Amino acid sequence: MAMSAEVREGFLCPMCMKDLGTVTMLQDHFEEEHSSEDKDVLQQLRGLLGKAKKKILGEKDSSDMFDTSSSSMSSSTYAVSNLSVTGYDPSVWDPQEIGFVRSRTDMFKSQRGARVDRYVVETNKLIIRLDKLTSSDAPVESSKRRAFEKSVVQWAPDSSVKTCQFCKRNFTLTRRRHHCRLCGDIMCDKCSQFLPHTFAKKLTDPAFQLQSDVDVGFLKRSDSNASLNSILGPEGDPHIRTCANCRKLLERRNDQMEQRNYKPAIVLLYEKMKMCVDNTEDLLREYLPMVESLSAGESIHSLQKAQMYRVKITKLYETIDGLSKKILNLGLNSEEEPQAKQLQLQRAIRLYASNFMQDNMLGLQSLPSEEQYKMLQERRTQEIQQRIAAERLAAIEAQEREKRLQEAKEGGHKNTPSSVKVTEERPRSGSKKLTSWMPSESNINFSDRDDPMIQQMNIIRGYIKQARQAQKFDEVNMLEQNLKELQQEYLRQQRQNWS
Amino acid sequence: MNVIVAIKQYISKMIEESGPGMKVLLMDKETTSIVSMVYAQSEILQKEVYLFERIDSSGRETMKHLKCIAFLRPTRENVEYLAQELRMPKYGLYYIYFSNVISKQEVKVLAEADDQEVVREVQEFFGDYIAVNPHLFTLNIPMCCQALNWSPGSLTRTVEGLTSVLLSLKKCPMIRYQNSSEMARRLAENVRQIINREAALFEFRKTDVAPVLLILDRRDDAVTPLLNQWTYQAMVHELLGINNNRINLSNVPGISKDLQEVVLSAEHDEFYANNMYNNFGEIGTNIKDLMEEFQNKSKSQAKVESIADMKAFIENYPQFKKMSGTVSKHVTVVGELSRLVGKHNLLEISETEQELACQGDHSACLQRIKALLSNEKTQQLDMLRLVMLYSLRYESHSNNDIAGLLEVLRKKGVSDKLRHMVHGVLEYGGRKARGSDLFGTQDAVAFTKRFFKGLKGVENVYTQHKPYMHSVVDQLIKGKLKEGAFPYLGTSQLKERPQDVIVFMIGGCTYEEAFAVHTLNRTNPGIRVVLGGTTVLNLKTLVLTPSST
Ligand SMILES: [Zn+2]
Ligand SMILES: [Zn+2]
Ligand SMILES: [Zn+2]
Repeated sequence: MAMSAEVREGFLCPMCMKDLGTVTMLQDHFEEEHSSEDKDVLQQLRGLLGKAKKKILGEKDSSDMFDTSSSSMSSSTYAVSNLSVTGYDPSVWDPQEIGFVRSRTDMFKSQRGARVDRYVVETNKLIIRLDKLTSSDAPVESSKRRAFEKSVVQWAPDSSVKTCQFCKRNFTLTRRRHHCRLCGDIMCDKCSQFLPHTFAKKLTDPAFQLQSDVDVGFLKRSDSNASLNSILGPEGDPHIRTCANCRKLLERRNDQMEQRNYKPAIVLLYEKMKMCVDNTEDLLREYLPMVESLSAGESIHSLQKAQMYRVKITKLYETIDGLSKKILNLGLNSEEEPQAKQLQLQRAIRLYASNFMQDNMLGLQSLPSEEQYKMLQERRTQEIQQRIAAERLAAIEAQEREKRLQEAKEGGHKNTPSSVKVTEERPRSGSKKLTSWMPSESNINFSDRDDPMIQQMNIIRGYIKQARQAQKFDEVNMLEQNLKELQQEYLRQQRQNWS
Repeated sequence: MNVIVAIKQYISKMIEESGPGMKVLLMDKETTSIVSMVYAQSEILQKEVYLFERIDSSGRETMKHLKCIAFLRPTRENVEYLAQELRMPKYGLYYIYFSNVISKQEVKVLAEADDQEVVREVQEFFGDYIAVNPHLFTLNIPMCCQALNWSPGSLTRTVEGLTSVLLSLKKCPMIRYQNSSEMARRLAENVRQIINREAALFEFRKTDVAPVLLILDRRDDAVTPLLNQWTYQAMVHELLGINNNRINLSNVPGISKDLQEVVLSAEHDEFYANNMYNNFGEIGTNIKDLMEEFQNKSKSQAKVESIADMKAFIENYPQFKKMSGTVSKHVTVVGELSRLVGKHNLLEISETEQELACQGDHSACLQRIKALLSNEKTQQLDMLRLVMLYSLRYESHSNNDIAGLLEVLRKKGVSDKLRHMVHGVLEYGGRKARGSDLFGTQDAVAFTKRFFKGLKGVENVYTQHKPYMHSVVDQLIKGKLKEGAFPYLGTSQLKERPQDVIVFMIGGCTYEEAFAVHTLNRTNPGIRVVLGGTTVLNLKTLVLTPSST
């Protein structure tokens, strides 16, 4: 169909479209060739698209003209009145649930069931009889054998039929009646089928394993064994006489069993590959937040652990790459070329794998080195310290202001409660970039009447709580240190005031 | 009320239900179109669907290691093919989805064929139409009209398509139809019949205000599909033709191999999504800006000034070409549009068309048409376009010169068959066929409106025309649509203003109308309008429709 456009595949560099063969090669290439400049280009391109979007969706300059040599539209006649109505935005409407569906599966299964059930019951009966007939304690000598066979299934009386039900020819002295050992029906010799014991074994014993790739099944009739009617086959393999109906049922069962147990090479490879894809997805889900956190200089995750993940993922990529290439090349060098659709399938699987790898490659390129990480951590520590220092400064300022206010109050009215708006005075710069947990006012309870020093301490206590919840223990330490200092300062001031 | 989302959800549910493993998607000709309109190949590949097969193709191989998802229309042939398939299954397991109601009898036929118990699911997923835009669908029936009534089979297909739209959006609507149209009345009654017969399917949670299905007939407005268009999607369809989002560019001079057929899909192409309703001038500007900025960034000195420069620019930057295949595609498409506009004098022609459709004075119009007909650049299709518009507009004008214009066409070498279409169009959409005052000559209010429009100054001479359908739907959502002209089917009536509206145009809708509906949706919060048609018309397709009378 038309959907199958030719797409380039492999470990293509997203920048120069070069095929690098393996993940490692691609990563090396990327780091060497495009470590910095091409990130800029990507960034620029993204910016461009964003700008174009703004242009298209936002206010437009109606005098902008598309002037080509062939068209002579003049700008004054070519402005559109309702510019706000443009673009394609399916999100305008609420998300919708899936449309109406009706299942006919039950109806289908009940129709199929009746007939298929009959097959199953019939076949199971045959299998049980087959098991009895081939069991080791079944008599072999022909005198006892016949009686035994008749005890397994009741034979139709000879008088019940005049003709063979399969070839419709009359039974005569030379065309004698034969009984199917599995259902007891009558047919002529020519219409009899012969089932070797090895095949019977395969059908009756689910655990039975064939020694080699020998094709087991009903004996093929040729002229040489047309009159075959002893219990020994041409290779001395014992066999059982059955009718064509029973043969059909047993072969159907055999096909089903084979299909259930047989997995061609492509399935085995594919299942392995798909497992790797799923594993990679799981690992990436954990790994990507690690990279982000580490690149910010945080210490929730250890760099070693992230490196370990990275190695694991890279290995998985290589496995996926290898397996999908194996799938791509399945059967290519054998005598029988795979059929066209099979090749198409193999190519599509390879395409799936390379798409997957390309889509997820981005997360892998940016883990900091040990030194870089140390620097990042230091920078972060500095930033946190600056922030805390700034907050302390704010606390002190507030306290001073409070003191002044107090002094003024003592000079004038005595009972005006002080209402200091702490929120406005608390500098927040720097903290936004650093954290994903943002200190939120709602978590901090304090009364307006409190000493600003106490308010500051409460705020820091609130931060500590949040930082702890966010598992940012380095920040917790720093904040606790800060709190201790504040407490000491407060006590010192209190002592001063009382003294 | 988003038809693209509705179809997408159906398809992804099918794929999910079959679980992990390699899959093949088995479709017929129509479901192939349905699926390819909403999913890109790479997107569906991600869901482990590796092969796409047609049920009627003979070259399929046995691949028992694949799960088969069969998405088919419930036609007799498909049931036959499927029964054959199940008797000798080529794939391991089968998950069967019909795009509409399948009868018990047909389920039985399939069940009896499934000796080997390969079928896991048999379900009805009502994605029996082609979603073009979130609010636009088509049934791809090129000719639904024969001898001014439903052509054989097309009424059934239309009823199936329309009821599946209702089911996929979970709407059980009140039905209104265009009173002047016999076809509209019959369609309305048939849809109602299905809703009654399959009542179990239509038991949805009641909404506060019942949805409305409004059935219109193209014959009421044969003018709209005759006009040249200037918004991107509509223009591409009029000049190049869009077929299931695909545009054939193989006739473009000097086209490169990989651009001979391009796909324009708003689902997968951001630039198209953002520009499909922009007018030609704006798109050119947007492409030019994009290219210029990129060029500045890449420190190139050459100046991009014309489409030709842009083409050269792209060809000189193969890596850019790959990263922005979309841009090069649009440069090519817009370049070709602009070439055709110049070559065939479309600006001047379009201006005259707009005058004819909107306000023009008879003798001035006639003169302009005559001048255009004798212009070397004017192609036959546009000559026909102008004469058809003139005929529809001045059909009852005492001094009209339809005969004289037809004579000019004859002298210009326009074939008998094409010239006959002028009469065909009059019979199809002329005064007698219309239930409406299409040109607003009788209605005093409409006349005043036009008068004021004239006073305000024409902002854009090429886009003055508003499809007649726009005002019908506008009146409907304001609760002002006249019951005489658009009666309800049955006794129940809507007291409130409708919120969810499905408009269906017998004979095909146009992208200009899709744009009008888009505008209505944008400017009326809380109102959701979906437009559908037996097909999406351009002049070439409309010319085919009345020719079958
Ligand atoms: Zn590269
Ligand atoms: Zn016989
Ligand atoms: Zn038998």
